[in-house]
Amino acid sequence: MRALAGKGNLYNGSGIYMKNLTVSTSPHVSSPKTTRSLMLDVIIALAAPLLASILIYGFYPLFLTALSVGSAVLTEYIICKIRNIENTVTDLSAVVTGMILGLCLPPVVPFYVPIVGAVFAVAIVKMLFGGIGRNFANPAATARIFLMLSWTGIMTAYAAPIDLGAGAEALFGYFRYGVSLDISAITTATPLASYAAAPKNLNLLNMFLGNIGGSAGEVSAVAVLIGGAYLGIRRVIDIKIPLIYIGTAMLFTLIFYGNISYVLPGVLSGGLLFGAVFMATDYSTSPNTVLGTVIYAAGMGLITILIRRFGTLPEGVSLAILLMNIVTPLLDKYINPKPFGYVKPPKTKKKKITG
Amino acid sequence: MPKEKIRTFRRGIHPLSHKAQTENESLRELSTPELLNINVAQHLGAPAVPTVKEGDRVAEGTLIAEANGFVSANVHSSVSGTVKKIVSFPGANGLLAKHIVIENDGLYENELMPALENPTKEDIIARIKAAGIVGMGGATFPAHVKLAPKNPIDTVLINAAECEPYITCDYRLLLDYPGDFLNGAELLRQAADAKTVLICIEVNKPAAVKKISGLLQTDDIKVVPLKVKYPQGAEKQLIYAATRRRVPCGGLPADVGVMVFNAHTAYSAARAVYNGEACTRRIMTVAGGGIEKAGNYWVRIGVPYQHIFDELHGGCDISSVAKVLSGGPMMGIAQPNLKASVTKGSSALLFLTEKQTERAKMTACINCACCATGCPMNLMPMKFEAAAKSGDFALAKRLGVMNCLECGVCTYNCPAKRPLIQSIRLAKKTIREKKL
Repeated sequence: MRALAGKGNLYNGSGIYMKNLTVSTSPHVSSPKTTRSLMLDVIIALAAPLLASILIYGFYPLFLTALSVGSAVLTEYIICKIRNIENTVTDLSAVVTGMILGLCLPPVVPFYVPIVGAVFAVAIVKMLFGGIGRNFANPAATARIFLMLSWTGIMTAYAAPIDLGAGAEALFGYFRYGVSLDISAITTATPLASYAAAPKNLNLLNMFLGNIGGSAGEVSAVAVLIGGAYLGIRRVIDIKIPLIYIGTAMLFTLIFYGNISYVLPGVLSGGLLFGAVFMATDYSTSPNTVLGTVIYAAGMGLITILIRRFGTLPEGVSLAILLMNIVTPLLDKYINPKPFGYVKPPKTKKKKITG
Repeated sequence: MPKEKIRTFRRGIHPLSHKAQTENESLRELSTPELLNINVAQHLGAPAVPTVKEGDRVAEGTLIAEANGFVSANVHSSVSGTVKKIVSFPGANGLLAKHIVIENDGLYENELMPALENPTKEDIIARIKAAGIVGMGGATFPAHVKLAPKNPIDTVLINAAECEPYITCDYRLLLDYPGDFLNGAELLRQAADAKTVLICIEVNKPAAVKKISGLLQTDDIKVVPLKVKYPQGAEKQLIYAATRRRVPCGGLPADVGVMVFNAHTAYSAARAVYNGEACTRRIMTVAGGGIEKAGNYWVRIGVPYQHIFDELHGGCDISSVAKVLSGGPMMGIAQPNLKASVTKGSSALLFLTEKQTERAKMTACINCACCATGCPMNLMPMKFEAAAKSGDFALAKRLGVMNCLECGVCTYNCPAKRPLIQSIRLAKKTIREKKL
């Protein structure tokens, strides 16, 4: 429905027509928040893990993220042109999708991987279902799963952090693997791989700072937390989602592994923090009600740990997010909050009056 | 006085208040033009029936239109002069209504009712009815009808929250006429047979809280400081904030033993009882970027908006005015021209510039639920919009669209700038018309 706005007239004192007045329904003021400003805030928040990934792995992850953002934006632009609909690139949501996808890839993958992923995320997951607000699942999380299934080897080989002291050579070192499928020479084990066997051997400080192997933007817990805090303070994301997600994940880690030493490394490893802050909080695919949000976030926590503990996959965050994304429409359909002052249909007795 | 807890309701928003433009300007008198157009349908309910005809001579306070039916209110002339004609044109609310045009003779003669001393409950209600007093916060519900509740009342709330941006008329009333205001509050308490009166003021008006608290002598009347939040002044939200009672859906405040009156209604009630004045004038905030002499003015009912603009716009560029609002920016009604005139419910006339009413371009719903997280009634506006767009009004009704108080929070909050309220109004109107 288009906003009905008509035009009226304003006269000066002597009855001379001066100007058109806008006539529309109330309210006549609106909050400064727009879709674009919200997306811009997410981009600002994503700058923290992006910066961390440069410090840890050099400029190659930045290059991958740039490719991913560029392909996402271009795909959306082309689809808008083909469908002959209003260009929605300016709302910046494609940039956000591209950045998240770029940052949840391993730091060294061939250059075409982020391009294929971004095209899949935007074209299939987002635009085919009707564009912004209509995607059935988080585009970046779904694209990551798609890439994982397509190039399992590449997507599970994690390069080791570089030595910043070596200067430019180290910062640009990973570019030489840009077209190569064989990166085994530089790969390292991720904490998650050695996690099940001996959690006590892990260096928690390194995991917190990100000096470990893992996906480019996910390794540095501190960077992700800074981004999350920014989004929480700006009230861009519903802070309940990451808190409940991580809280439930910790609880189920304790239950399924039966040892408290697994809990903290579990939170700091893999994509849990990054996924909880940046992917699970996607507006389109998270529920609209408080109860729905609690179920959604707790469900992700449970599924993540189920996959980690009992599944054959190394990591369950993207799958958990995807699965709960699919449940979201159901949660939205069947959970309707009671209006303020709701009374059960058969009015049996009056509300209790208290002084 | 002991430090009181600052109360509020759940959810809501914090729009920019813009009150600084007018809150420190003391009350002024606005000149009265030669012709006044007095609307006979300036209250909720049936329009009043004109009792005068062309050529009749009237004074200020002469009854010119009589209440028609139970929910209706008397209308009085606000100047002395001659009835010129009775014409129909749209009033400030956009609805076609009869207007009694009175030619001002410049003598300002009064016709007063006898002042009452020690009035009984019945006397007060009868006088409020005779004086045509309605809810002057904007709802314009006839006060004497409200004072005939089905349930016993124990608390009367005086609404001086004034949560709408720009508007400061109740604040000035409290500062400049605290005596009359408190008399009115006490009269309304008697008329409602209530024990206590709670005067609800948002804490961004500390001067008013201090002034009124200082004048209180009994424990029957208390000042309740409220958090600054929109829509704090909405009836159900105000009752919840002040008394923690929830008005049931579809119910009235009287169902929980409460009655709410606007601050200006209390003032007018006191003037009617103790001074015999009919409701012929009110305080109005004139503000916005398109007006130079912004402030609060005593205006007579029936003064055309055009006159107010001509008197007050001063050196402001006329072409800077983008929207003229009768009422506040959240719930006020945009005027297509300045032909409408002041009514008993006209709390403000705003001349807003393009920048002050700026709204970004509408985009697709991103399902962020910002509309629902702000909703003071805990509704799901995004579902109403989807239902209205697909024409499924029965679904909208099942989801509770009739509980919407049209405060505008959802539409204010929406980052995609969707006109949610418009869909909701369409749904409510269709449901009423089709009796779904």
